[in-house]
Formats: sequence, C-alpha cells, structure tokens
Amino acid sequence: MSEAVKLKPTPRSFAATQYAAGFVTEIEQETLPPGLNEDVIRRISAMKGEPEWLLDWRLEAYRHWRTKREPRWSMVRYPPIDYQAISYYSTPRRKGDGPKSLDEVDPKLLETYEKLGIPLREQEMLAGVAVDAVFDSVSVATTFKEKLKEAGVIFCSISEAVRDHPDLVRQYLGSVVPITDNFYAALNSAVFTDGSFVYVPKGVRCPMELSTYFRINASNTGQFERTLIIADDDAYVSYLEGCTAPSRDENQLHAAVVELIALNHARIKYSTVQNWYPGDENGVGGIYNFVTKRGDCRGVGAKISWTQVETGSAITWKYPSCILRGDDSVGEFYSVALTKNYQQADTGTKMVHLGRNTHSTIVSKGISAGHGCQSYRGLVRMAKSAENARNHSQCDSLLIGDRCSAHTFPYVEIKNPTATMEHEASTSKIGEDQLFYCRQRGIPEEDAVNLIVNGFCKDVFNELPMEFAVEANRLLAVSLEGAVG
Amino acid sequence: MSIAAIRTLRGRAWQIYEQMGMPTPQQEDWKYTDLGRINAALGDNWWKPAVPERSIPSLGADQLEALAIPDLDAWIAVFIDGRFQAALSDLPEGIDFAPLMRLVIDRPEQAASMLEVDKRMPLFNGFVAVNSALATDGGVLLLKANTVLDRPLLIRHIATRSGTAHIRHSIRLKERAEAHIVEHYCGIGEAAGLTNTVCQIDLAAGSRMRHDRIQMEQPCHYHIGRLSVTQARDSQFESHSVALGAALSRVDLSVELAGPGAACALNGLYLIDGRRHADHHTVIDHAVPHCTSREHYRGVLDDRARGVFNGKVVIREGAIKSDTAQSNANLLLSPFAEVDAKPELMIYNDDVKAAHGCTVGRLDTRQLFYLRARGLTEADARQVLTFAFADEVLASLKPAPLRRFVEHAAFSRLFHEEDAEEMLT
Repeated sequence: MSEAVKLKPTPRSFAATQYAAGFVTEIEQETLPPGLNEDVIRRISAMKGEPEWLLDWRLEAYRHWRTKREPRWSMVRYPPIDYQAISYYSTPRRKGDGPKSLDEVDPKLLETYEKLGIPLREQEMLAGVAVDAVFDSVSVATTFKEKLKEAGVIFCSISEAVRDHPDLVRQYLGSVVPITDNFYAALNSAVFTDGSFVYVPKGVRCPMELSTYFRINASNTGQFERTLIIADDDAYVSYLEGCTAPSRDENQLHAAVVELIALNHARIKYSTVQNWYPGDENGVGGIYNFVTKRGDCRGVGAKISWTQVETGSAITWKYPSCILRGDDSVGEFYSVALTKNYQQADTGTKMVHLGRNTHSTIVSKGISAGHGCQSYRGLVRMAKSAENARNHSQCDSLLIGDRCSAHTFPYVEIKNPTATMEHEASTSKIGEDQLFYCRQRGIPEEDAVNLIVNGFCKDVFNELPMEFAVEANRLLAVSLEGAVG
Repeated sequence: MSIAAIRTLRGRAWQIYEQMGMPTPQQEDWKYTDLGRINAALGDNWWKPAVPERSIPSLGADQLEALAIPDLDAWIAVFIDGRFQAALSDLPEGIDFAPLMRLVIDRPEQAASMLEVDKRMPLFNGFVAVNSALATDGGVLLLKANTVLDRPLLIRHIATRSGTAHIRHSIRLKERAEAHIVEHYCGIGEAAGLTNTVCQIDLAAGSRMRHDRIQMEQPCHYHIGRLSVTQARDSQFESHSVALGAALSRVDLSVELAGPGAACALNGLYLIDGRRHADHHTVIDHAVPHCTSREHYRGVLDDRARGVFNGKVVIREGAIKSDTAQSNANLLLSPFAEVDAKPELMIYNDDVKAAHGCTVGRLDTRQLFYLRARGLTEADARQVLTFAFADEVLASLKPAPLRRFVEHAAFSRLFHEEDAEEMLT
C-alpha cells in the first residue's frame, strides 16, 4: 500500500501539505438521488445485476436496520446524521459492462489515482502489488488478475465475485459480521455497493501483496464497501487498504464492513492506512468513518493480524476484532491512531478467546494533539472453554498540548482460571528531557517531535510491510505538522 | 427549616427513585452486576426498612462478643438493623457525634443538607435516592480544626433480620484534623436482608483520614455501599475496602480531589467464594492541578464467585501535574470463578503522569513447584501463595489488631480455620 500514501510534502505552507489528497476529480457521474427505502435497495441490486438471494439478504438487513438505533455509547460527539439526505449509489458513468482491462478505464480516473500516487498502469508492470481501486461506489480496476489466477487466488471486486463465484460469497458473506450485528453493519449490508473479494485456496501462499484503494469523490454520497477475505487451509495472504477523499465542508459517511475468515493454519495479515479527509483546522467537514471489521479464526492454528494507521477522518469508530475459535489460533492488533485539530477517534479491538491455547496481542498507540479526542476501547474475553489462553495488551497514549484528551476503556472478562491476561496502559506527554536532548544536538524541534513520535509508534510500524512503514512514517510526520510548537 | 421540610425533601428523593428505578445490567455501570438476585430474595418492595415499628432489637452479650475485633482499642458506634444503639456505643467526649435521627430533630438544616439528593454525584443511582428518602439513622461526625481523634472510631453495622437497613453517615474533618474510621459490616442469623449505606466524607485543608471498610456480612445478605469523598487542599485520604461476605455486594467509591496537593490512596481486596458476587466501582476525579492518586485493588475468586472491578480516573482540563497510578490484579482459584475488570483513564490535558495495569491469572506454577520442591504439600503451597497475593493489600491495614482480624477472617474463608491460624502466627 505504499502507493496509498505517497503524499510528497513540499516545503510550501502547512495548509497545502496538510491534506494533499483533498482535490476533486471532475468526472461525469451517475448518482442515485438521496434517500433510502426498499426501492432504492432494489435499484442498487438491479443495477448491479444481483441474484435474488442477495436482494433478499439486503432487504432483510434494511428491515433490521430500521429497528436499530444509532449507537451512542462511544466517546464521539457529532450532530445527528440524516440518513435520507445521503445518496447511496454513485458511479463514474460508463457504457455497458465494466472495463475488461486498464485500457478501457476512463483516463480521468487513472489520472486521479496517479495524482494520489497510485499509478495503476505502472503498478501492473513494475511493483509487486495487485490493486483493486474503488471509486465512490464501484470498483474501477483490479490489476494483476492474470498472475493471481495462475496461483489460484481470486482477487476481484465483490460485485464480480457475486457474479462469478456466487457459492463462495453466499457461503461466507455475513458469516462473521451478521446483518444484525450493529447499526452500521446492518446499513452496510443493505446498501453496500462494492468492495474487494479475496479467496486464497488450500495451501497457497499469495504471491504478492493485495491492496485495495478506496476513494470518495462525489459529494453528498456515502461509501459503503464490503470486503470479504477467505484464506483456506494453510493459505497465506497479506492485504493492504488505503483511503482518501476530497476536502469538503460537509461531513460524509463511510460505513464499511470487513470480514476475514481463516481456516486451519491459514494466516491473514490485514493492514490499513486510513487517511480520509479529517476536516479543516476548525473541525469543519471530514469523513465519518464508522467501520465494522472482524476476523474469525475458524480453523486450528489460524492467525489473523490487524495493523492500522489511522490518521484521517473527522470521526473514527472502529474495532477490528478477532474471534479465536480454533484451538491454538492467534490474534494480533497493532494500531497507531492520530487525532489533531477537532478529530475524534474511538477505536480499539476485541479479542474473543474460545479455543484452547489461543493467544492474542494488543499494541495500541494513540497520539492526540490540538483539540483531538481519542479513546482506546478494547475487550478481552476468555470464555470457559479457552484453556491456557493468553493475552497481553498494551495501550499507550501520547498527548501534545493541553486541549486534547486521551481515554482508555479496556474491558476484561475472564471465565477460565488457566487463562492469563495482562493489560497495561500509560499516558504521558513528549518528555521534555527527550526534546531537550535532541535540540541540544541540533535537531529542530519539529524533527525532534517526529523522531520521538516515530519511536513511540515503532512497535506498530515494525508490523507493517516495509515500504508501507516508510510511508506511514511520512504520513504521520505530515499529519503532525503544525500540531506542535 | 422544619421537620416538614425534611419530609418534602424525602418525598422528592422518593420520586427520583420512582423515576429511575433500580439499576439494570443495560446500564454501563451495572453491566456485570444483575440485581435480580436482590429482587428474588427480598421481593419488589426490597426497600422496606428492617425495623418498621420502634422495636429495639436486642443482642446477647456473647453474640456481641463474637462480632468484636479482639484487642482493638477504639471508640465504637453500633448500629443494629439501621438503628443507632447508644447503650452499646462508646464515644469520645467533646467530639460532635450525633445520630441522624437526633439531628433531624435538633438541627434540621444540617440534616437537610445531608439528605439532599445530588444527581451529579459520580455513579449516582436509585439506591442513593432511596437512601435519602428512607435513611433511618446514621452517624454524623464533625471534627474541629487541629483536633486529632486519639483512637480509631469503629462504626459497627449489625444486620439481624430481613428487610433493608438504610444508613447515612456524614463525616467532616475541619482544617488539619485527623481521624481513623473503621466501618465494620457484619450480621447474625439466616434472614435475607439488604444494607444500603451512604457515607459522605468532607476533608478540609490539611486534614488526614484513614478509612477502612470491612464488609463480612452473612452469605444470605446483600450489600450496597457508597463512599463519596471530597478533598480540599493538601488533605490526605487513605482507604481500604475489603469485601469478604454477603451474597452480592457492590461498593461505589468516589473521590474528588478538589484542592491542589490533595492525595488519596485507595486499596481494596475482594476475596470471595461460593456463589458470591463482589463489585467495586471507583471514580477518582483530579479536578485541580498537583494532586496525586494511587489505587491498588486485588481479587481472589474461588468456587463460583464473580468479582467485578471498575476503576475510573478522570484528569480534567487544566489539572496539570496530576499523578495517578492504578493497578488491579486478580487470582482465579477455581474453573468456575469469573472476573470482569475495567480500569479506565480519561485524560484531558498533557502535563500528567497516568498509568494503569490489570492482570488476571492463576497461581504461578513455577512458584508452586519451588515450594513443593522444598517439601510443602500442594495444598500448603497454594495457601502460602494465595495468602501472599491477598496480603499485599491487607498488610497496610493499621493498627495491628485490625490487620490480624481481617487477615484471619479472609483466610479462614478460604482455608481451614487451623491453617489460617497457623499462617498468621
């Protein structure tokens, strides 16, 4: 996902560098009028040529969503969202079926991705990363399909998967995050328009990193993507996800669902660099990022690892979780979250231990600056059946400035005496002695702060694929500019 | 202010309860504690006071003797089923101690300010409102500036019959005064009852207080307790909350550090077996700069017992140089025991030191091996290690007779009486 965050900072003013992905692409778009009812869902489904069962599933989700209330327990404040003012489908206009190859993709779109540092075309030739690019509601291009096909890996947009691999989709869709799971998951299930689908067959190690790039372009729309990743027995896949959106004064909604399924001895590594538009320095605009991500270690010895770098969004509400069902399965969560200006983040993870000898690790690093408000909310649950389960959690917060806040809400529920659980958390500011040490050696204050922040986040960045880590570092530095001093 | 006014005030409190009702597990603060057991045992009118008519319960000298803390040299105030017993009490002269009922008659203004319902109180719930409405009695202690209470004041609550004892204490220490209060909750007999106490403590500048709360009620009894502390500049507060008894107990403990330099240390132990349920919720509020707080809670859970710990520390905007550390450790001794912990930090400025830690586990197998290799039986080794784990909290109880009494009560709960005896000598 190095491509997601190549935001080359130039020595111009901070305002210019702060959010380099904030431009709008002028492209002809087909957008459904705002509003949500069963007819809208039928139209979305019809436009995508979906089978009957999927429409029924969507309608069931919609009916359930109508009965649910928006969650209010998190430490984020925002005005009520009018779900009838959002358009639920927006697509770049095109003729007939989707593009067969990159040559058929609208050059304007390719240009957009190039501007963002994701040259889809070059990517196909040079870099070893397969990309699925999602523009507003639909997937515009997926690269490297042929090479992946040789290995037997299915990597395509979820719409294609519904068409070409309906059995797989039907078997797994909603099996980790059911439509009744929560308010936003129900909404997503009803109106999701696209997203990525990955299936890695038995014993296959996916030959390259897979990557999805999400872009919100149209105004007044919400993006509802759905990602489904299945790693069959002994398979391995590393998946990267990045996101940006134009700078607008309105708030836009992004409610995604990600489901991961790891069977016996399969491993899934899921990395996110989330850089949605965070709003301006007065807290105007920005994306509401309400995401449900969950992985299910169904098989023995399965492993799911979440790594996230969250620098964008006006509001983040996400808890990538692991259900450790299989014996000896492993769950990991590594997170760096940055809130500045008026950004708010309520994020964390859930580790639900069901199988024997299951292990989980949580490392969460929160950085709060300006008026940023950040919460770590995590759950470690060890069921009666979780013999010898182990968890280690570490949540550290770094505060920069006296107007920001950082909160920690770890829930610990242990029902098995052989389980071991350790949680530690600390909150501090950047050490004055550390800063002094750097300054004394001629490092400017801003660089010194970057250095210290990078050191603070090292445990997490070490988990990212290498080129991705470099970019994450840079993104963090760009985001922190102007927040210090 | 007249008695009629107090009646209106109590009426308002009752209305607040009727609106709120009993807490339910749907409420975040009661997620892990289901009060259905109280309803099942006491019925819908659970709040009915234990002594409806003015009958004074009487206890034999031997019964009282069995409840006493041996060798403890202390002033004593006794409440039986929520009623103050002057004949059984021994209070220092010159100290302003008045049971609530007398206060209502003599000084209604003061009684009114005590019973006023403050909904902004941290962890406010229906039990506080009911307590305001129905409190039968309680101790009101005022210590003048620069006075030091020479001996600990032991407030013993004895539950003897079914029904609810609503008790309201108010303790105020003026400038630089010092006191040690021990709240001892115990009971006799098999009657299912409920203790619902509220204790408000107000510490003026430079005052110091030790407060120990020893709850060892009968296994058929239920316990809802609250301790609200406000601390002014440079005051110090050290507390122990020990939960050993009752079928279900819940203690809400809140400390507001309202003056710079104030410091508090909260210690706690819940050591329970059988089907007991012990819940501690604490809130420490750093409202102003330069305050320090320490919190150390431990849990030992045997059989089907369930322990709940929720420790919240809030550091407000502008409360710079705040220093807080919290730790919670839990030991599960049985495959059916359960613990639910939630240490929370809420921090609104950057110039602070804040840390918390939480662990859950069983006895360390290597330590067990070490002791067995030195000839201890498995059972003995387990006892030694369990004792050492829990004693981390109890060791700081003072004076020595109190510590011995609580240690003995704790360990004879888990082990044979003789073993506990041997361990403690």
